[in-house]
Amino acid sequence: MAMNPMEQFEIKPVIFHDPLFSIAGHPIYFTNQALFMLIAVAVATLFLTATVSKGRLVPTRGQSMAELSYEFVANMIQSTMGSDGLKFFPLIFTIFVFVLFQNFLGLIPWTFTATSQIAITFTLASFVILIMVVTGFMKQGLGFLKLFVPSAPWYLLILLVPIEVISFLTRPISLSVRLFANMLAGHTLLAVFASFVVLLGAAGGILSVAAVAPFLLIVAIFALEMLVAALQAYVFAILTCIYLNEAIHHANH
Amino acid sequence: MPSSEPDDLKRLRERIDAAGRKAAGEQKPATPPAPMGIAFRLGTELISAVFVGGGLGWGIDWAAEHWASLHTRPVGLVVMFVLGAVAGIRNVIRTSQQISAESAPKEK
Repeated sequence: MAMNPMEQFEIKPVIFHDPLFSIAGHPIYFTNQALFMLIAVAVATLFLTATVSKGRLVPTRGQSMAELSYEFVANMIQSTMGSDGLKFFPLIFTIFVFVLFQNFLGLIPWTFTATSQIAITFTLASFVILIMVVTGFMKQGLGFLKLFVPSAPWYLLILLVPIEVISFLTRPISLSVRLFANMLAGHTLLAVFASFVVLLGAAGGILSVAAVAPFLLIVAIFALEMLVAALQAYVFAILTCIYLNEAIHHANH
Repeated sequence: MPSSEPDDLKRLRERIDAAGRKAAGEQKPATPPAPMGIAFRLGTELISAVFVGGGLGWGIDWAAEHWASLHTRPVGLVVMFVLGAVAGIRNVIRTSQQISAESAPKEK
């Protein structure tokens, strides 16, 4: 009986017991995390290709879900970055779908939530920031550094530039912590209430009847978690848009 | 989409697309962000800035001691911690401005 609510986040090797290979003496295992990331990619690819392969004029349910997600992301990019932001559509759609499927897969019992690991979310966030910096320098050259220089008299800039630099450096951290903390908190909460059900149920007598209360709460929290899973994927994608927008257009805040 | 579709269907699709674009442009605040999402977003902005500031300060002290053998130990941490807190508040102000700009109806 799993009574430790954090046990679900344990990373352990699956399928292969030996390390696949090693980098600089560190053994690299094929972990449950890697497995569920691969499953998320496979399910997303299968779903999106299978539903739109027919390309009906009157879409089926699956096709209209795929089309809706396409339009949703395209609208999001257009409203935040304008039409020239659509060049980034493949990147943002991939990030959105990848995070969304990981979040939703994690809600199925006995699965592992890859986005509940800060290693995953921080890698994704640093990737986004790296792309932002590279496109910024490619599009604007050294003018990209104006991002760190707000319009103010020079004696204030001594103070403001370090603040802007720190504020920039927080982006990958706030981006990754938000996603990871939301998933971690939600899944921990579910596990805690689930253990209440088991404990009360095992207590016998009137307490067993009371076990219904946390069970109903689990249903409610699960519904909330569905919302959070979609919302966090959306937030991650829209912040990616906002950051990339600063890279392709002149920063004017 | 098959390219051999009749003309009237094509025209219909153009009209639908135009309507869609118009709708997307005009009623942007169709879904105001969830209050909990906003709270969490602002919270992480503030906290992570403080952590980054503190971490940078600690790093500066460490580097000064290791590479230049200067004993600046608490100064860098204190200064950068304060700057980090300021940056956090700056982040929160900017984010909340962004959110209210997103959910307010677009004029112009």
